[in-house]
Amino acid sequence: MSTPDDLASLLREGFDLEPADPLTVDRSRVVELARSLKGIGFEYFSYCAAAHYPATDADPDRTVVEYRLRRLPRDEVAFRVWVPTGESTPSLCGVFAGADWQEREQYDLVGTVFADHPDLRRIMLPEDWEGHPLRRDYAIDTRHHPWR
Amino acid sequence: MAVDESGQAFHHPIYSFLEKMPGLSLGLTTADQLLTWGSSNSLFIFPMATSCCGIEFMAASSGRFDLDQIGSIPRGTPRQSDVMVIAGTITVKMAPRVKKLWDQMPEPKWAIAMGSCAISGDFYRDIYSVVPGVDTFMPIDVYVPGCPPNPDQLFAGLRRLQEKIRAKRNGEWTDPELRPDTPGLRSPNLPRIGDPRREASLDEAQLDAVMNLDPGGGMLRSGDKS
Amino acid sequence: MAVAHSEEAHEAPAGPVPTVVRPWADPYLDPETYDPEGDLMVMNLGPQHPSTHGVFRVKLWLDGEVCVKAVPYPGYLHRGVEKLCEKLTYVQIPPIVDKNDYVSPYINELAVNMAFEQLNAVEVPRRSQYLRTLGAEMQRVGSHLLWLGTFAMDMGGALGGGASAFMHTFRERETILDCFELWTGARFHYNTLTVGGSRHDVPAGFAEMVRRTYETIRARTIEYDELIYDNAIFRSRTEGVGRVDAKLAMELGVSGPILRASGIDWDLRRDRPYAAYGELKINVPVRSAGDSLARYEVRMAEMRESIRLVLDLIDGIPEGPICALKPVKLPGAFKGKAGQAYVAVDGPRGELGTWVIADGTERAYRLKIRPPSYHAMALIPYLAPGSTLSDIIVTLGSLDPILGEVDR
Repeated sequence: MSTPDDLASLLREGFDLEPADPLTVDRSRVVELARSLKGIGFEYFSYCAAAHYPATDADPDRTVVEYRLRRLPRDEVAFRVWVPTGESTPSLCGVFAGADWQEREQYDLVGTVFADHPDLRRIMLPEDWEGHPLRRDYAIDTRHHPWR
Repeated sequence: MAVDESGQAFHHPIYSFLEKMPGLSLGLTTADQLLTWGSSNSLFIFPMATSCCGIEFMAASSGRFDLDQIGSIPRGTPRQSDVMVIAGTITVKMAPRVKKLWDQMPEPKWAIAMGSCAISGDFYRDIYSVVPGVDTFMPIDVYVPGCPPNPDQLFAGLRRLQEKIRAKRNGEWTDPELRPDTPGLRSPNLPRIGDPRREASLDEAQLDAVMNLDPGGGMLRSGDKS
Repeated sequence: MAVAHSEEAHEAPAGPVPTVVRPWADPYLDPETYDPEGDLMVMNLGPQHPSTHGVFRVKLWLDGEVCVKAVPYPGYLHRGVEKLCEKLTYVQIPPIVDKNDYVSPYINELAVNMAFEQLNAVEVPRRSQYLRTLGAEMQRVGSHLLWLGTFAMDMGGALGGGASAFMHTFRERETILDCFELWTGARFHYNTLTVGGSRHDVPAGFAEMVRRTYETIRARTIEYDELIYDNAIFRSRTEGVGRVDAKLAMELGVSGPILRASGIDWDLRRDRPYAAYGELKINVPVRSAGDSLARYEVRMAEMRESIRLVLDLIDGIPEGPICALKPVKLPGAFKGKAGQAYVAVDGPRGELGTWVIADGTERAYRLKIRPPSYHAMALIPYLAPGSTLSDIIVTLGSLDPILGEVDR
């Protein structure tokens, strides 16, 4: 997949990034990046996905959040942010309406906190659930009284 | 002869009164036979169709297999149905609703667990959000194994249920069905009631779920208010 | 009424200030500010309701019969598939994802296996590519038939006696399931695709069976149109109902027939070809109205196009091996490379993607399914305000949600 010229120049000049799949951006600039990408036609919000990485010797306990946008019909761009556990990353709800449910799902399952999200509630699991199932330290067969 | 909740025959005072009157007992027997014939041949099904098995249930009720041929039709309300077919995975979030709908069904009522998910949770049984078998919180009369079972197998299950209904109406004791075991499959994590390996806390949980209905019902648990 | 009010809500919102004032209904409308006296009726639709196509719950605030605010509560079928996929090996995952979108399992398997193949740079043999394309198109027809039957059933007695259309479409769907049963041994949940190709080659007599089946269905699509599309009541219940704005749909990530009915000409099969689609000519039906009727038209046109593709493909499958690797049955026999991949295919409901992070073992580190229905259901808070309760049912049916895929 080749990077289109306007995307490459936007990334190089505006954000000092080399085109890659996925890009890695700082949390402070992610909303700005999303807005600029939307400005050059990346209007299709494909998904937001998060993955949990437990603490290692080099890194703290953290999650990675990846967004993917498309400019129909062919171009796509993905960018990711690293979020240490206990901190939050800005929500993209102000830019893409679709970020609402996507970020709620990742908050529910992975536990990433999105700042300024208008409605950050659990979406898949009951509201009284404890823990975030897709974290690596969550046991798959955790009991939930009285139903299992 | 009538049959109580646990399947045991019992005598109601009105029966003994009627039996003393000449001629009436003959009418009672005929009425009983009529009721048996009626209830086993007009099973209205409440489809608790949550996932893939629900699609096979739809296939069973459509033209080729035709549920109507044994007098069963899907009825979308618990108030007017006799059999609940639990077709699909029941999750922790859904289980209170299933239980509520089961409690809303008028007696006499029966339940069929259709598919491995409803029977034991299948490969989801270890998952945090899945109830490992609906028989952990409600009684099941017939198990229809398969993932998903073919419509023919659902028919076999319904026929089995009809046999049980007839036997029970005649005052015969029918053994409870056992969860079907496939050789080579790991046994479920949760042993059934009466199994020595079963923890007492599970019995308590089941008893708690069955006996202590909160006044608001399952629909208004504190965690679900919004 | 509700829409007009939502613009006021934008001037003084309770939550954080949205930077763009949007022309559609406000999903974050506070019922208290809309109606301080509390005259709104709160109604709960679902989770066990025949027309929610599964277990989907929507809480509706109704002003008379008109909806003011809708809050969906998905998750009643959350089975933890993504957690399960972390526990299982690559070979064990396809039968699990079959159960996500249980109306088109073949395409689910295709999506995950293509992601694993991209991750490990496995080249799939040409015959298997064609078989995959054939299976996907056969499945798409079956999926759209199910949608057509249930959508017509949602409108109930208006269409000449409740389940008539349902009976017709299921009669044809059974014949498609027969073809798959002959091919893979299962009516659905096939477990036929694996990393590197397919497990089952087509059996003898398959081409003849498929040709007969799909030619019958092609003739019957005219009957469906006569039964449903030409029905004046159907027209009046769907025309202008549930109008989806193309900009909103793109922001929400809505894809597939819903997006194409809103005037966006985008189809992954044509624009980013996978399997054997690059060698085929695909006509993508597009409508601009964006309402339920347009979605009906797009799906029916897609069904005809898929039937054409099936009939074209069935005679032109090249000879050769069907799997690049030796098909493995032992769970741990396939070890993936470390890396990350995202692959999307165009399923019957839109962009069905798989995002996988691998760490070089036989298990994926993290696997996310990107389900099209989940994005489509995010439309409900925008579509429901301003329409009546009966129209919400029609809208829900026209979005064609599969709840196994929404909740996973």
